Amino acid sequence: MNERFKKINSGLLADRKVTQLMAITAATFIIFSVISRDIFFSSANFTSMAYQIPEIAILSIAVMLSMLTGGIDLSIVSVSNAAALVAAWIMTNKMGDSDTLSTSWILIACIAGILVGLAAGAVNSIIIARLDVTPILATLATGTLFNGIAIGLTDGVSISGLPEQFMRVGNGTLLGIPTPFVLMVAIALVVGLFINRTTLGLKVFLVGTNRQAAQYSVMGDRRVIAWIYLISALLSSLAGLIIASRTSAASPDFGSSYILLAIVVVVLGGVNPNGGFGTITGVILATAVLQMVSSGFNALRFSQFFYLAAQGAVLVFVMILNVVLERRRVSRSISRSLRS
Amino acid sequence: MDFKKLLLRNETALIVAIVLLSVIIGAKSPEFFTLANLFDILRSSFVQLLFALGVLVVIISGGIDVSFPVVGIFSGYSAVVLMKHFEWNPGNILLPIAIAIGIGIALGALNSIAIASFGIPTLIATLGTSGIFRGVMLTFIGSSFISDIPLALDKFATADLLKIQPLEGTLARLHVLIIPIVLITILVSLMLNRTMFGRSVYALGGGVEATRRLGISIKRTQAKVYMFVGGISGLAGILYVSLQRKANPYDLYGSELDIIAAVVLGGASIMGGYGTVFGTVLGVLLISLIKGNLILLGVSGSWQRAAIGALLLIGITVQAINESRKAKSRRVSTRDEVAQ
Repeated sequence: MNERFKKINSGLLADRKVTQLMAITAATFIIFSVISRDIFFSSANFTSMAYQIPEIAILSIAVMLSMLTGGIDLSIVSVSNAAALVAAWIMTNKMGDSDTLSTSWILIACIAGILVGLAAGAVNSIIIARLDVTPILATLATGTLFNGIAIGLTDGVSISGLPEQFMRVGNGTLLGIPTPFVLMVAIALVVGLFINRTTLGLKVFLVGTNRQAAQYSVMGDRRVIAWIYLISALLSSLAGLIIASRTSAASPDFGSSYILLAIVVVVLGGVNPNGGFGTITGVILATAVLQMVSSGFNALRFSQFFYLAAQGAVLVFVMILNVVLERRRVSRSISRSLRS
Repeated sequence: MDFKKLLLRNETALIVAIVLLSVIIGAKSPEFFTLANLFDILRSSFVQLLFALGVLVVIISGGIDVSFPVVGIFSGYSAVVLMKHFEWNPGNILLPIAIAIGIGIALGALNSIAIASFGIPTLIATLGTSGIFRGVMLTFIGSSFISDIPLALDKFATADLLKIQPLEGTLARLHVLIIPIVLITILVSLMLNRTMFGRSVYALGGGVEATRRLGISIKRTQAKVYMFVGGISGLAGILYVSLQRKANPYDLYGSELDIIAAVVLGGASIMGGYGTVFGTVLGVLLISLIKGNLILLGVSGSWQRAAIGALLLIGITVQAINESRKAKSRRVSTRDEVAQ
């Protein structure tokens, strides 16, 4: 019995942070289900949550990747809006007055959007990896620039009325599961495989743990960082396309609150902001927790600003908790070594 | 002083940029070179400059604060709400200013606890607290626009130091705030250069470990820095409310980037340890020149954000390139010594 328990323990439960998060997820779920049984604990609510989780989860995975290297990407929302705007612009222009558009043109529009997002990511990569600018400021600046260009080109007006086939991706179901959710699972699996099973993924962790050691081992730390910001931009563009297809609109100032949310998710998900540690499972669980809190607050008719305050409080609280637990662990291990 | 060194200084480049931009704008529209326009640019930079001085101190100390606009509007708005609630209506403006500065310092103290006591990365801590402050303000203090602010604040908006009526054109008005703002700027400069606290801020930005070995308390210095930013943001917030003659809780949010851009353009090193008050003043002037007069150049106002993003990007890139060149020359010179 003990042996079998150990086996389980060394598998999924080995990671203490993920275990904690599972407990938090379950607790949040139970609390809101009890408080608001008829609104929160309804299939309608679960369905709407399944449509809202993916976009935040994908953006959070993008932030997580940059955080694993010890940096941060604050331009995710600008990049995702840029990709969505380009795709939406091509679609609405090609559509003209009709309501539909051929599938190939939709695909071309999406690819064009992703290419623009990748170009934005390349700008980030060059500035951060080549010119050694601090990631926070570099992405703050590029984020403003991309957002500014989008506002300048569109005059701040949103593009709406996208073709019906495109909207079906964001609002439809695949085998009974909401399509965005399926896409999220697929993306999470691919990124999970990438960081856990490829050489580049392993290097990401090394760069985040100790940049200097990575430099001395001549493994091309700059190239690793360049790749990460490109991948982050790719994920952001995909999230932008999903948002556009769910809301049937693209706008330069959509989702500006998502930056704080994504960072809260990533930190709550147990990613170390100084780099080197983090899991996809943690990020997805954290997204689910925050989405449940958001839906729960909605069901209890709290204002959106109360949710904002809660997000900030969760971020600060989790960070403080991490520091306190870490200090206790260190002092305990010191006293243990002194005793022996 | 070495003439070549003087030419290469950041301040010189900024002065050249400001003069060039003024000449270009002035050539396009002659109304730019009027006293009224000059005074308007000054008036619109007062609040920005106060915020920028606070941010300068944080950036010199090696941190970053994104919560200051929210702290500012929180203090300004809460002071107005408090005064209206208790029906305080004093003749002079000192009471609201004192209340706002007090609230600002209190909010700054919360940042201090998160950053100094628990060692949370500054960006993440202030991102979290800005969410908390904004959420708390809009949920518990009020979310409605107050247009009948206390009389003293309202009157202060039109308190002019001197009025000059040119032979033709509009009346030029220089606001009385110019005197306290100049005084505060000089005081901050003295504080940074001539006091123990100021020098420890520079030391902290230069290197944490070295500062600790000098016998300077890191925690106490950091705590003071964030309380200082809180206080000066509170002052800026109440002056903003007074100059606008209305208290809108949704204002200022999102303006953090303009201020950070101004400070970084002013030559403050984003890694900490370097920055001057004079550079910051020039940076603020350049940004408000661009924000206020882009339209005179025939560029649509919607390009403002892109212009600021591009400027910030250029600023940090130039800094990074200079930094790496310096590092390279240092390496070369040590190699020469070894060869000898």
